[in-house]
Amino acid sequence: MAKIVLQGVTKLFKGKNSAAVYDLDLEVEDGEFLVVVGPSGCGKTTTLRMLAGFETPSRGVVQIGGKTMNDVMPKDRNLAMVFQNYALFPHMTVEKNLAFGMKVRRTPKASIGREIREIAEMLEISELLGRKPAELSGGERQRVALGRALLRRPQAFLLDEPLSNLDAALRAQMRIELKRIHAQYPVTTVYVTHDQVEAMTMADRVVLMQGGRLQQLATPEMLYDQPVNAFVASFVGSPKINLFPGRVVQDGSGPKVSFLTASYALNGSHGATFDAVSTREVTVGFRPEEIRLATGNDPELPVVKATVELVEPLGSETHVVARVGELVLTCKLPARCGLSAGDTVSLEFDTAQMKLFDTESGIRLG
Amino acid sequence: MTALGGSSDVGLDRPQRRADKERFKFTTFVWLSPAGILLIALFLVPTAYAIYLGFTNLQLLGPHASSFSFTGLANLDRMVHDSVFWSSVKLTLVFVIGSGIIAQTLLGMALALLGQRAHISIRATVGSIVILAWVLPEIAVAFIWYAFGQSGGMLSEIIGKPSDDLLSTVPLLIVCVANAWRGTAFSMLILSAGLRNVPEEVDEAAQLEGAGYWRRLFRITLPIMRPTIMTNMILITIGTISDFTLIYAMTQGGPGNETAILPVYMYIEAFQFNALGYGTAIALSLIVIGGLLSIFYIRQLKPELGKAS
Amino acid sequence: MTTIDVAEQVMPGKADVLLHASIPTGWKRVRMHKLMVNATLGVLGIVFLLPLIWLVDSAFNTHATASLGAPALSLANFRAALAAGAGGAIKNSLYLAVVSTLIATAVSTLAAYTLSRRRVPFKSTLLLGVLFLTGLPVTLLLIPTYEIFVHLGWANSPFYTSLVLAATSVPFAVWLLKNFIDQVPKEFEEAAAIEGTTEMRILWKIVIPLSLPGILVAAILTFINSWGAFLIPLVLDANPGNTPGAVGIYQFMSANGTVQFGPLAAYGILFSLPVVVLYLVCSRWLNGGFAFAGGVKG
Repeated sequence: MAKIVLQGVTKLFKGKNSAAVYDLDLEVEDGEFLVVVGPSGCGKTTTLRMLAGFETPSRGVVQIGGKTMNDVMPKDRNLAMVFQNYALFPHMTVEKNLAFGMKVRRTPKASIGREIREIAEMLEISELLGRKPAELSGGERQRVALGRALLRRPQAFLLDEPLSNLDAALRAQMRIELKRIHAQYPVTTVYVTHDQVEAMTMADRVVLMQGGRLQQLATPEMLYDQPVNAFVASFVGSPKINLFPGRVVQDGSGPKVSFLTASYALNGSHGATFDAVSTREVTVGFRPEEIRLATGNDPELPVVKATVELVEPLGSETHVVARVGELVLTCKLPARCGLSAGDTVSLEFDTAQMKLFDTESGIRLG
Repeated sequence: MTALGGSSDVGLDRPQRRADKERFKFTTFVWLSPAGILLIALFLVPTAYAIYLGFTNLQLLGPHASSFSFTGLANLDRMVHDSVFWSSVKLTLVFVIGSGIIAQTLLGMALALLGQRAHISIRATVGSIVILAWVLPEIAVAFIWYAFGQSGGMLSEIIGKPSDDLLSTVPLLIVCVANAWRGTAFSMLILSAGLRNVPEEVDEAAQLEGAGYWRRLFRITLPIMRPTIMTNMILITIGTISDFTLIYAMTQGGPGNETAILPVYMYIEAFQFNALGYGTAIALSLIVIGGLLSIFYIRQLKPELGKAS
Repeated sequence: MTTIDVAEQVMPGKADVLLHASIPTGWKRVRMHKLMVNATLGVLGIVFLLPLIWLVDSAFNTHATASLGAPALSLANFRAALAAGAGGAIKNSLYLAVVSTLIATAVSTLAAYTLSRRRVPFKSTLLLGVLFLTGLPVTLLLIPTYEIFVHLGWANSPFYTSLVLAATSVPFAVWLLKNFIDQVPKEFEEAAAIEGTTEMRILWKIVIPLSLPGILVAAILTFINSWGAFLIPLVLDANPGNTPGAVGIYQFMSANGTVQFGPLAAYGILFSLPVVVLYLVCSRWLNGGFAFAGGVKG
């Protein structure tokens, strides 16, 4: 059980101009389930490998359990890791795979056998103990890798895209199982994935990285509702958030934002940001569920006429892609909405959660 | 399609000709024949002929040069009682196992393991040097080590006894060193490639389990490389057991018969003592020994053979 | 997509103040370890280099001995080697190597393609036979081949000698190329076949270009093998005019009472240079061939 602290950690690789990880500050609380998410090449795996000790930070400090780990060999860090392709020892049976670490640590024979039996039972792999990894399915290998990590009784768990080689159904099942195991053994866990769904469903807190830099560290809800920039907003959520070019202008009554064919008076929290601004180019963001067929109930809300391009009925809801002039937007409508391609619709934008970003930097303004 | 269409050209009594199953074409013979003729004429016929000649009294010159005859097990009988033959078998085994299997595999493995962790420029330089020794024609290698083993040669100077003629005092050791020097590159190349195929994460997983370098090497890396190591050993054995040029050019099998491994002994018997028939019999014994060695490796390195895979 | 893609926009990071706030890291541990590894490898490299240095040193040194001498730069040894017939012998080696490589590569490619793609009766038996021949010591063939050559009057002919050299390379070449062509996706050929291309054309235009790395490996290994051939030409060709380089060096070594290290070293370098250059030029493909052999699964 340990707290993990990264201070100003930077990793430069030879021959690369930009840092793989740049000035990363991070604290993972004892027992926390932290998910590091981001597109490929964002530095998330490098971060994990620095925690494990396979990479040495070019700068900065890695602390685990209050101890600086920069100079500690991976074998002495007392961590467990689950690899993307499981990294089971191919020449050993499942049982030997599970026993390997305990033998290294000179655990008495009797307790090795007992612990393996317990963990195998919990993970439902008791019948597989005599088999070799090549004879197991993806899900079974996953369980063995998990079992091996659990038997390590580590200070912290590191998981590197552990579900990415599984099919969709199994992935959903393993997500639940991993959470269950974490509830049972609340060990500090750092979980790396490129899948935002895994990040949102499993994390206590999420770290979103891009280009080697931390973009935002927040709970899943905060990440969704309060993204710090346009990148975070568009990475989280499916279908993606709609981003339109817009412009904030002042008219007599106060700041007003115009986007698509609509215009909307900024008030409340939004308004304050733009009081002093005369004209500003912004990016306006609406999540697909914030765009609906116009009801006219609230005449304040901006309404736009659009042409339906594509209807994707998902059963419980319908995703509709519609065109407004040059721009395309996606909205989440109720099931059986009765639309078909070519229809002209009036769409109403719910501004309660409207997000405004600086066009150039992407930073959220309000 | 047939079930749906029920068209009349699908006769029920006629076996259908499937388009997806490739049929034998006459040209296949034509395409295989150049290689086939070459192998039959210059490989299979001589091999079959060798099996026959091994049981004859054929001579290079003299009465049995043209009118040789089948002599049954006479050659085998001579072989069993030929002390030079048995010492030659022993020398062959020492040469193959000592210089081939042990020295080349160990050196090749050491170079592969060091190369994996060394700086790329050092790895590339050392790798090129080792490979250069292997690319050199065997006769050039023989000459170099012939010079090195002389009195006043580099080796005797290095051990501090410049007047020693190592080629007469420890001839077998010198030819073994020469062969190891020449052949290590092959093992290095094969084993490096095998090492690259060991997944890095597996080694990393073992690190996190707390295993140190040597334990990982012996418990994880080498066992995973077992098939490659075995292939390498068999290939080295095949290459070393029939080696002639190196030893013959360095020592002609001497002094005495101290370095006369089987191919050299065969050559001496056949072309210096005229006994082509007996020489062939010696060559046949090479196959037996090579086969036994290969079986031995497979047994040693695949204990799981026979268990359900 | 007309929606603005902001994924590329990166948040401006903290200023590079950090560059100064350097904190000690684990580089020391890594460095010590790397130093040991590099030093050990370097020492091994020097041990392997020593004989090569001697060869070069002796070739340019008119007073060459069996041990290292003072570096010199004289071409006298090379002149002596050429006077001893190095030029003609190397020409003979070139003939043997070129002819046997051309024959072995052509014949093996055709056979390997057929075995890889066509239906061949008893294919697995044939392949097993080829594998068996790969492991057969060439020494075994020597005496019977000699007998056959003497009877047919083929002895002392460089062409027939190259045929034997080609034959000894064919089993390995077929095996290597068959495995290589197996890896070439069939889809290319199927696409060409649908266009109505003849099979010979498919072989020329698709299979051979795609498996060129493998063909080169087979060709180079055959060439190197035939170039250094010693025992086969020694036995099968007694004509002094046909002596290849390897036999020439051997005869030069045992010719006079005292060994002439300088001229012999020069001869050795002249004879080694072509294959060394060939290897250096083609090492990329050769290493690929080894990756292939190293990847064998048990």
